[in-house]
This record gives sequence, C-alpha cells and structure tokens, in this order.
Amino acid sequence: MTELPLREPTFLILTALAAGPQHGYGIMTDVAQISGGRVRLRAGTLYAALNRLDGDRLVEVDREEIVDARLRRYYRLTPEGARRLQQEVERMRSTTTVAAQRLRLLGGTQ
Amino acid sequence: MDDRCRTSDADRDRAAALLRDHFAAGRLNAAELDERLAKALNAKTFGELHRVLADLPERWPERLERAYRWLLACYPAAYRRVHEEEMLAVLMTAAPDGKRWPGMAEAADLTWGAVRVRCQPSRSSAEPGWRDALAVVSILLPLVVFITTAVPVAGVLPGLLHGGPNLYSNMFPLWLLNQFTGPLALLALSLLRLQRIATRAAVALLIGLAYLAYLAALSYLAGGADPGAVSLIAGGPYILLALGLQMAAVTASPGRRRGLQLVTWKHVALTVIAAVAVAITSYPWTLVVIPVICAAMALTSSLGRWLLVLLAIALGPYVAVPYTYIVGWGPHMRLYVASVMRTGALGQLSQACVLAAVFLGVFLIAACRESLRSRKLAPPAR
Repeated sequence: MTELPLREPTFLILTALAAGPQHGYGIMTDVAQISGGRVRLRAGTLYAALNRLDGDRLVEVDREEIVDARLRRYYRLTPEGARRLQQEVERMRSTTTVAAQRLRLLGGTQ
Repeated sequence: MDDRCRTSDADRDRAAALLRDHFAAGRLNAAELDERLAKALNAKTFGELHRVLADLPERWPERLERAYRWLLACYPAAYRRVHEEEMLAVLMTAAPDGKRWPGMAEAADLTWGAVRVRCQPSRSSAEPGWRDALAVVSILLPLVVFITTAVPVAGVLPGLLHGGPNLYSNMFPLWLLNQFTGPLALLALSLLRLQRIATRAAVALLIGLAYLAYLAALSYLAGGADPGAVSLIAGGPYILLALGLQMAAVTASPGRRRGLQLVTWKHVALTVIAAVAVAITSYPWTLVVIPVICAAMALTSSLGRWLLVLLAIALGPYVAVPYTYIVGWGPHMRLYVASVMRTGALGQLSQACVLAAVFLGVFLIAACRESLRSRKLAPPAR
C-alpha cells in the first residue's frame, strides 16, 4: 500500500536525523542549513512532528545528557524510518527526473 | 526566584557565562569582569547574583523562561512530564540574547503544536478520557441532531393529517426540507476520510457557511418577516455548532469504531431522552428531566462525565436559543413560536441560566469526586 507523501518539515527532520543522532536544537539548525535557510522550524512544530514520528516508530530516543544544567535528549532514525525516507526519496527522484527530461526537451525546441 | 533563595552550582555557572557574554559585548572591562566573576562564583543566594547583574541588560532570563513554561502548559500533562525540560532547553537556546518575551509567532506555534500533540494518538494504550468520550460523541451526535430536528416535525404532522391550521402551510415543504438537511450534512462530514485537522476544519466551515446561505435563501423565498421564517433561521447556528463538534469528534478521537466499542445502551437511552426533552423544551420538563440525566451520566464514570460536557455543548444552545415549541398531543394542536422581541426573553434567559448552573454544579461535584478518589489512589506528584 502506498503511504501518503511526507510533509516537508517531516521530510527535512528525517533527512537531518539520517546524518546521525541529534538533539532538538541541532535538528532545527540542520534543517535550516539543508533547506538553505528557507525552512525555519520552530520548537512547537518540531516537537509535534517528532511526537508523530515517534508514534509511527520512525524515530526513537537515542540518549539523554545534561548540558549547561539543562536536559538534552538525542533522537535517532529507526530502520523503519530510514526505509520510509528512502521510499520518499525514490518517489521524488522519479518525478524530478521526468520533469528535468521534459524541461531539457523544452529548452531544446526553443 | 526569591532573592533569599539559595543558588546551585548550575545557577552560578550560568551567571558567570552571562558576565563573560557582557564582557565580550563590551559592557564590562576586564577588571570589572574579574570582580563580578568572583562575586558570582561565591554567591550563595539569588539576591547576590541579581546584584552582580543588576545594571546589565537582561538580569536573568527567568521572565522568558516563566513565559515559555506558561505557554508549555497547553501541552497534555503526560507529554509535559517527559518533554517539558527538553523543549524549554531548546527554546532558551534558540532565543537570542536579551529577548524578554516570546513573540506572537512563537506563542502561536507552541499553542498549535499543543493542539496537534493532543490530537495525535499516544503510544500508551490508555487513552485519556476525553478522547474516548469524543469517539462516543461522533456516534451519538448525528442521532441527537436527528431527534431534535425530527421531534418538531412529529409534532406538526398529526395536526396536518387532521387538516387543522398550520403556521407553515404555504412553506411546509421548505421547512420539512430544512429540518433534515442539517442531519444529512453532519452525516456527510463524519463519513469523509480526511487526514489533516486543518482540512477538516476548512470543510466543516464551508459546509456551515453553505448551510447558512441555503437557510437565508429559503427564508427569502418564504417571505422574510413570516414567523415561520424566523424559526427556519433560528436553527442555523445550532447546526453549525453541531458540525464543529462532530468535526472535532471525528478528528481528535480514536475513531468511530472505538466509539461503537464504548457506547452502551445506557448512554444511548439517556442521550435520546435528553434530546427529546430539549426538543420539546417546555419549562417543567427540562428542569426536572435534564438534571436527573446529568447526574446519571456524570456520577457513574469518567466517560459519562466527559460525555455530559460534550453533549451539553451540543444541546445547550438549543435550550438557550430564544424560541419555544409547545407541542400538545390533544385535539387542539398548537405550534407556538415566540421571538426575542415580543415576549419571554427574560424568562428564556433565566431558564437557560438555571440549566447552565445545574450542568456546572453536577459536573463540579463529579469532578471533585473523581479527583479525590484518584488522589487517594495515586502517589503524590513529585
């Protein structure tokens, strides 16, 4: 059964975690960097998405640390999450390949 | 923090870090930095720390932290137990230096995040009581709306059959059509398979607005000031409220299947009696029947208590809306419509207030009972 396509913030969070376990603030800065500053995640959106991903078993807690007297929790991608991300990348790649081909043809005829 | 409150190592380190930041920004010279650092690292109370930072821009990010904690209170208690400190750490790290209040965008983002978290299914198998109640409401609400729109029809039909005078004679077909489109709209909404909360809200709003426009068109066709036309429109906002509640019930609950598992014949019977009583809505009925039903639902279980609240939202406005049906079953059929302008506005209002007080009273008693019972069983919170 094909699942619904991932929303962009969710996709970016999974991409950020694909590099390795990260904590909340790390994910926020990584997402901003991956999207070239276009997507600025806020804490509310981030944690709602993480809660959903955790419920779907796509991410899980890696470890907890105390830094600067504050709790920091690290999240990592589960194998299921990696598979889901891969599936999404394939879906987008096939679509973008077709679009690029057609644009090239379009550019050729003009 | 009170000035006399004692500081921890972490608090002193944080103050020292702040002082170094101010030095880097050029607000202190090296000598001042050393002097203040010595005082900060030896400070025993918050008063001493405050004096060290007194003339520097942000005394302590407590105000910001307190504001964030207040916003984070929107999140469910179980979620907060696990995630509050972590989210606070992220929020405070992301906040630029000298920030005093969370901005509007940030507050909105946190509040909407809380709504989304509340609507997402939790990992643990035990669902909070209100979500189960919403599942049952998604089953019962179409039934309630159907009854409250069908009873007036049932009241009118015998009179029609006997050929008696009818207030709606020239637009009876329109009125009949109007009575049933409400329930149909509700059923349609609950059967739609929509994923996102925002989509559901948008669809509910559209259906509601379309329904209002349709009512306005009907009343225009019927001829404006006709008392029958007044009753056509008066039911409109009530249907909108029911639409909104049904949307919430289907979105935020574990689903209709769970509702079917949970609903018992007792719930159905009590709801049907309440709906019929409200649809008839003559003074002695509601003041006697409704409190008994409230007590029966609220005092038996937590599910009953939440059901009471939600169904009160659905049925309440129907009682407070300023028109009355008095349906007689004798040979003299009467359908009586009173508008706010003419008579009984104060009577209607007082009746609505008494009923609201009864609902609230029963709910509060049941809530206190629940909390007392759970406090006896559960260990004290940390």
